[in-house]
Amino acid sequence: MQKFLIPKLYPHDPTNPLLHTNLAMALLKLSSWARVITASSASIALLPENMKAYYYLAQAQIALHETAEAVVNSRKAHALCVKEIEGGGKGGASLGVISQLVMRCLKEDWERREEVRLAGLEGTLRSVVGALERERDGKIAGLGDAGVEGEGGKEREEGIRREYEGMIADVRATFEAAGKVERRKVPDWAIDAIQFGVMLDPVVTKTGNSYERSSIMEHLKRSPTDPLTRDPLRVEDLRPNLALKAACEEFLKENGWAVDW
Amino acid sequence: MFATKRLGKELSKIHGSLPPGITLVTAEGFQEWLLDIRVLDENPIYLNQTYRLKFKFSQSYPIEPPEVTFVNTTDRPIPIHPHIYSNGIICLDLLGTQGWSPVQNVESICMSLQSMLTGNTKNERPEGDAHFVASNRRRPRDIDFYYHDNTV
Repeated sequence: MQKFLIPKLYPHDPTNPLLHTNLAMALLKLSSWARVITASSASIALLPENMKAYYYLAQAQIALHETAEAVVNSRKAHALCVKEIEGGGKGGASLGVISQLVMRCLKEDWERREEVRLAGLEGTLRSVVGALERERDGKIAGLGDAGVEGEGGKEREEGIRREYEGMIADVRATFEAAGKVERRKVPDWAIDAIQFGVMLDPVVTKTGNSYERSSIMEHLKRSPTDPLTRDPLRVEDLRPNLALKAACEEFLKENGWAVDW
Repeated sequence: MFATKRLGKELSKIHGSLPPGITLVTAEGFQEWLLDIRVLDENPIYLNQTYRLKFKFSQSYPIEPPEVTFVNTTDRPIPIHPHIYSNGIICLDLLGTQGWSPVQNVESICMSLQSMLTGNTKNERPEGDAHFVASNRRRPRDIDFYYHDNTV
C-alpha cells in the first residue's frame, strides 16, 4: 500500500513548495519520518517562510529523537505563525497546536539532556568508586609488605576496609542526590492565568498583566475584552513581554518536567 | 485538552486548600463537579444551611464559562434569593457568556456566590419565578438575564 501510494503523491511540479508540504503531511501520517524531513526541507528551500513545513519537520525530528533540531524548527513555525497573525493573516487557527508542539519539543529535549547528564554522572561515579577501591587495596597490600601480620594485621586491615566502605557510601549518596532533579514548585510569574500552564510566549495587555499568547488569543476570539477589567482589548493591543519570555525559556530549559505540570 | 489540563490543576489546588465555607463533594472526571457552600456570617436567611452547587464544564472551559446551578437534595435546599430561581438556575453576570472571564475559576465562582448570598437581605425569589421554572427549556448560559438590579 505504502509503496504504491508514495510515488503517486510525488509532486508533478517540483518547483511548487505546496506539493512538497502536502507530501510531508501525507508522509507524517504514514510515520515515514526520514522522508518527512526530506520533503519539508525541500519545501522550505523553495519557500523559506513556511510555517507548515517547519511544523511537519519538527514533528518528524521528535520522532527520530533529534530533539535539539525539533526545538529550533518548532520555534520557527511558532515565530512564523505569530508573524502571520500580526500581519492580519489567519495564523490564529494554528497557534494553539503549534504552541503545544513547541512545549512538547522542549520537554523531549530536556529529557534527552537529562539522560545524557545522568549517564555522565554514572560513568564518573564508577571511576571514583574504582579509584577508591584501588587505593584501599593498595593500602591493604602495603600492610603485608611492611610486615604487619597476625592479629594486629587483621585489625588494621578491617579498619582500612571500614574507612573506605564509609567513603564509598558517602560518594554514592552524593552522586545520587546530584542525579535527582529537584521538582520544585513552578513559580507564579511563569504561569498563565488562563490555561494555568508555563508560558511559552507571554504577551502583555494594557493593564500590565501577561498571558500566554495562544490562551489570550482564544479568549479574544470569543470576547474582545481584557480578562481582568473587561475593557475593550484587541489582538493588535497585545505586546510581547520579552523579559518574561526569556525568564520562562530559562526556567523550562532547566525544568522540562514543568511542561506536564 | 484545554479544559482537562486546567481543571486538573484547579483540582490539585482545591485538594490542597479551599476558603472557609466551601467544600468539594465530588469531582469525578472533568465534566461535572459538586461543591457545597455555606454563608459564613449570621445572615438569618441562610443561617445553618448548606447549599450544593453543580458545575458542568465544556471542552472549551475556561474560554467558555461553566454551567453552574444549585441542586436540591434532601438536606440541601435551593437558597432563597432574588437572583436564584427555585429550580436552581442562577442569574449572575459572571456566569453568563458576556460577563465571564477565563481568569475566573471554580473557587472564585464559589466565593462570588457566597458573597452574593451574604449581602442579600430580601427573602424572596426572582419576579416571575413560577412562570420561568415552568416554561424555561434553555440552558442557563443561553438565557439573556437582565442584569439591572445592582442592589442585591
